[in-house]
This record gives sequence, C-alpha cells and structure tokens, in this order.
Amino acid sequence: MSLLQIKNLNVRFGDPKAVPVVDGLDLSVEKGEVLAIVGESGSGKSVTMMALMGLIDAPGIITADSLNFDGKDMLKLSASQRRKIVGKDLAMVFQDPMTALNPSYTVGFQIEEVLRQHLGLSGKAARQRALELLKKVEIPAPESRLNAYPHQLSGGMSQRVAIAMAIAGEPKLLIADEPTTALDVTIQAQIMELLLHLQKEQNMALILITHDLAVVAETAQRVCVMYAGQAVEVGHVPQLFDIPAHPYTEALLAAIPEHSEGAERLATLPGIVPGRYDRPQGCLLSPRCPYVQESCRQQRPGLDPKAHSLARCFYPLNQEVA
Amino acid sequence: MAVVLTARDLTRHYEVSRGMFKGHALVRALNGVSFELEAGKTLAVVGESGCGKSTLARALTLIEEPSSGSLKIAGHEVTGASKSQRKQMRQDVQMVFQSPYASLNPRQKIGDQLGEPLLINTNLSRAERREKVQAMMQQVGLRPEHYQRYPHMFSGGQRQRIALARAMMLQPKVLVADEPTSALDVSIQAQVLNLFMDLQQQYHTAYVFISHNLAVVRHVADDVLVMYLGRPAEMGPKEDIYTRPLHPYTRALLSATPTIHQDPLKPKIKIVGELPNPLNPPSGCAFHKRCPYATERCAAEVPEFRKVDTRLVACHYAEQFL
Repeated sequence: MSLLQIKNLNVRFGDPKAVPVVDGLDLSVEKGEVLAIVGESGSGKSVTMMALMGLIDAPGIITADSLNFDGKDMLKLSASQRRKIVGKDLAMVFQDPMTALNPSYTVGFQIEEVLRQHLGLSGKAARQRALELLKKVEIPAPESRLNAYPHQLSGGMSQRVAIAMAIAGEPKLLIADEPTTALDVTIQAQIMELLLHLQKEQNMALILITHDLAVVAETAQRVCVMYAGQAVEVGHVPQLFDIPAHPYTEALLAAIPEHSEGAERLATLPGIVPGRYDRPQGCLLSPRCPYVQESCRQQRPGLDPKAHSLARCFYPLNQEVA
Repeated sequence: MAVVLTARDLTRHYEVSRGMFKGHALVRALNGVSFELEAGKTLAVVGESGCGKSTLARALTLIEEPSSGSLKIAGHEVTGASKSQRKQMRQDVQMVFQSPYASLNPRQKIGDQLGEPLLINTNLSRAERREKVQAMMQQVGLRPEHYQRYPHMFSGGQRQRIALARAMMLQPKVLVADEPTSALDVSIQAQVLNLFMDLQQQYHTAYVFISHNLAVVRHVADDVLVMYLGRPAEMGPKEDIYTRPLHPYTRALLSATPTIHQDPLKPKIKIVGELPNPLNPPSGCAFHKRCPYATERCAAEVPEFRKVDTRLVACHYAEQFL
C-alpha cells in the first residue's frame, strides 16, 4: 500500500460546475520516495498539495475517489483529527521563508510549539530537542539562534528554520513547495542537499514542487508533469528527460536554454496555457501542440498505460526508442 | 565596432543610519567596476543578491548618481553633465525591469504607455506616434487591438513584451535589463529571450543583461561579468568563463547551478556559509571566508582585478586553474 494514494482528485473554486483547477489527478507516493511535481504557474501543483493538507477553504470544492495518506482518508477526517496528522506525519515547507515564519516569535519558540503540540514535549526537553533540530539543519551557532527573531535571519537561514519545524514531528511525507525559488544558487544548492540528506536519514517521502526541471533532474526519482490542472506525464528520472513521451514535456525541456546551446533562438511552444474561458474541448495542449491531429481536438486523452511512461496523449513520442 | 558604454571605476556608496548615537555606516554597494560595451553586444552581469548588480543598473541608467568614477554613454561623460544634457543621454539608455507586474502603470492604456517616450522626447504628431507604437507592437508580437487595453488584461509574458517595446520605442543605444525573465515560466521565458535577441539583431542595441540564472546568461551573453559583494570577481568572453572559470567564486557558482545532464566526472564544489554582511565586509578578498582555496594572503590582501589569460580576474591564485 502506497504512503499517499490520490485518485481522481478535482479541485474547483466557487461553482461546482466551474472549470477545475486540478482536473482528475491520479498520483501515488511510496515510502521514502522522492517525487517531483513540475509545471508552470497555474498548472495546479500547489493546489493539489494544499488540498491534501486541508488548506483549501470555501469557496474551494474538493472531490476525489480517494485521498489516502498513510491508510487514512484525508477527506473524511474531522478538523481535530486532521490537525493531529498535519504538521506531524505530513509536513510542508513553503516557498518564501520570510513569510512562512511568524515575525513576532523567536525561532526557538516556533520550533518548540511544534514539539509541544505534536510530541507533548515541554520546558527543557523541548528546548533541547529544538536545539538538536537546529543542529540537524546545519545552522551555525544554533544556541544563539534559538532566541533570534525571523527578521534577524537571512533567507537561507529562515528556510533552514522552516525545514527544522517541518521535520520536528519526524514526518512520513514532507512536501516542499518551491523551497529554493526565493534563494540564490549557492544557497539553493545547500538547501537541496540538506533536504535530500534529511530525506535519506529519516527515510521520509519527499514531494518536491518546482518549476525548475534542472533541480528535478538532480534530485527526484520520479516526476509528475502537470499542465493546466492535469498530470500529463508521470515517469522516472532520467528516462523522462532523455525520452519524454508527452509533447508538453518535450517542449518544456526544449525551452530550457541549456538545450539550445550555440543556437541563435530557443525552441518555444507557441501561445499560452488555456484559461477558464478558452479551455479546449479535446486535449488541453491541442492548440499549442506541434503534433496535433484531428482526434486530439475532439477527445481528451487519458493517461495511456501502454506508453513507456504514463502520458496523457493519443500519440506519445519516443515509443520506438523505449 | 563603436563602443557605446564605458564605465571606469564606477562606485556607489550608501550611508546607512545605525541609530541615534552612532555614526553612519558606509555600504559599498558598488566598489570599482570598469567595462566597455560595443553596439550590438551583450554584457551579462551575474552574481547573487546583494552583489551590486541592481546598483550597477541604476547607475548605468542615470537613476542614481555614482559616488565616483566615470561613465560614458555614446561618448558623452555623464558625471558633471547638466540637467538638459542628462535628459538627452537618457534617451540612449533604457531599462527593462524584473517584475512586469510592477513596472507598467495599471491606469494607463498600453498604447499611451508606449507612446509616452515619443511624446516627451520627440515632436511627432499624434498620428505619427500612433503609427510608430503600432509598428513596435507588431514587432514584439502584440495584436493591434491591444492598443486600447490595460496592463491587468495581459499575462506576465505579454507584459514583459510591452515593457520591452516601451524601452525600445526611442531606439536606445544601450538597454539595461534587470532580471527580465526571472518572474516568467520557462516556456514563456524562451519566447521573451528570443524577442530580446531579435530586437538586438535588428536595432544593433547593446544590452547589459543582469541575471542570476547562469543558463540564461550562457544563451544571451557575449561577455560575462561576475560580481561578488560590490566588486568584480571575473570578467571575460562567455565561452572562456563557462568552459574554464578561473575565480573560485565563478567555479562555485557554475557548479551550484543545477543541470539536466550532469557530468558525473565533475564533482560538485561545495561552498559553505552565506554572503557576508556588507556593512562589515571581510578583510582582504571578500570571498575568502567561503573560498575552499583561501590562504593567509587572501585574508590580508585585497586581490587586484588583473589580466590572466583572456580575461580579468580578482584572485591571487587565478593561474593555478589555467
């Protein structure tokens, strides 16, 4: 049984008949696995994870055939039952470390709060554990940092504190939503290394949400590529990068400057992601796809299990190579 | 080739208040940068936040006066120029900013925003301005009906096209672009970068392209200037810098940048710590506290920015990487 099992997840805002922001998403994560979710802004990567965490309020409407985490149906839990899981077994690190921490409390207090709530530690024991956690995330001079306020820390340091808070409950699944987007490259490298180190050490599953394909190539075992609310390709690293099956994956890879070395122009996918009023009847990529056929315009493809990696396409690419 | 932009020892210092009873502290945001830029060429400025990239951009575009040093735009000296001379020079340097959401006036129609540089700087009639604006809109891939629309009706990529069109309206000799694609998704980034290249070819504009994304820089640049804490670390032709970086900081930066196809033979250089406090920069070489090769000499002596091989490097031991 997978640690996380999502089947046919739909998230809509407002009207139950509105265009879904997440559209029929199937995803599973095994214990100790690193899965990356990539996609452009508005493709539904963050909303999927927020639905799982129970962070979507009205007017958001979540429906799913199954949203199972660690054997529990997350949709059927009461608020107090969910609070016991979220922050402990299921934790999240957010994009902007400067806004993820509470500016009015010290770093030590915020970490101890997790320990008090979820592990029942208090006083000296909590202090001691908070210090250990700061050491674990490799913060220099951790004793003095316990009494520091978030504004006294740099972006990289704040992200380390946010990670310390997330791993305080020894989660089974850590969701990192663009954890390095706000950071410089050398700091990004440090934070990614830290996350992967902790993931291995604690054998936790890690879902990495990002728009940076290069980060995925260096860290993840499996990738889910999302486009306009749908998972369009789910595959393994490095196959997905070498022989992408979905035209969108191929186009995304081609658009990275690294792939057009020496070329005058970068390969581009014409047009933009469809909005709620111009959602095509057929395949969502059909207005932009270079390989489009008549059938693509008429019908929506499902995730084809015959292709070498799961691809939502009638005519997956690179089949003969695989 | 005509040199259109010359900077000699450009510095910009800021005084920072430290409270009521202490004297002002001095931040050397830009500390002696020199370069020449020819028409039709691109100089890329790379470095992490706080390295002085944006201060350089503000000095080059005459938004802020440099504290010392000389700056020549199209052969005219900027320091000591009168107000009317400056107004003339401003037509020759234009800027594209990072966030297309903040750099367009939300209450002005696109057509009017694009026409404003012409209204201020030329004596063209309303009809002539309109014609020029529409020609430019077509060139950057906007449709004629967009003339009457407001910025909120456009996507991020389209807004950056508008910002670029506005900067190019007066056909400047130099265009300073400060992280123009870092707010965009990869596929949109590729479209906008292509547009940058097309316009440069057509108008022969010199670009100063500021970015922290080394993959993007590799695609657009002719020359690269790497900065660290307000000082130049290394400057030279793009290919030389990317294939054989001589400054340890450049090497670390390149190694920290994630890539899709990793070279397994190239070990990752780990760089510890974060950018030092600019109020209290380290003695000697500013990088010595994070540098894996640092010696006693690095802590004592500020390295000279000197010619090594085909480029300029500020490192005492640059030769050993040759």
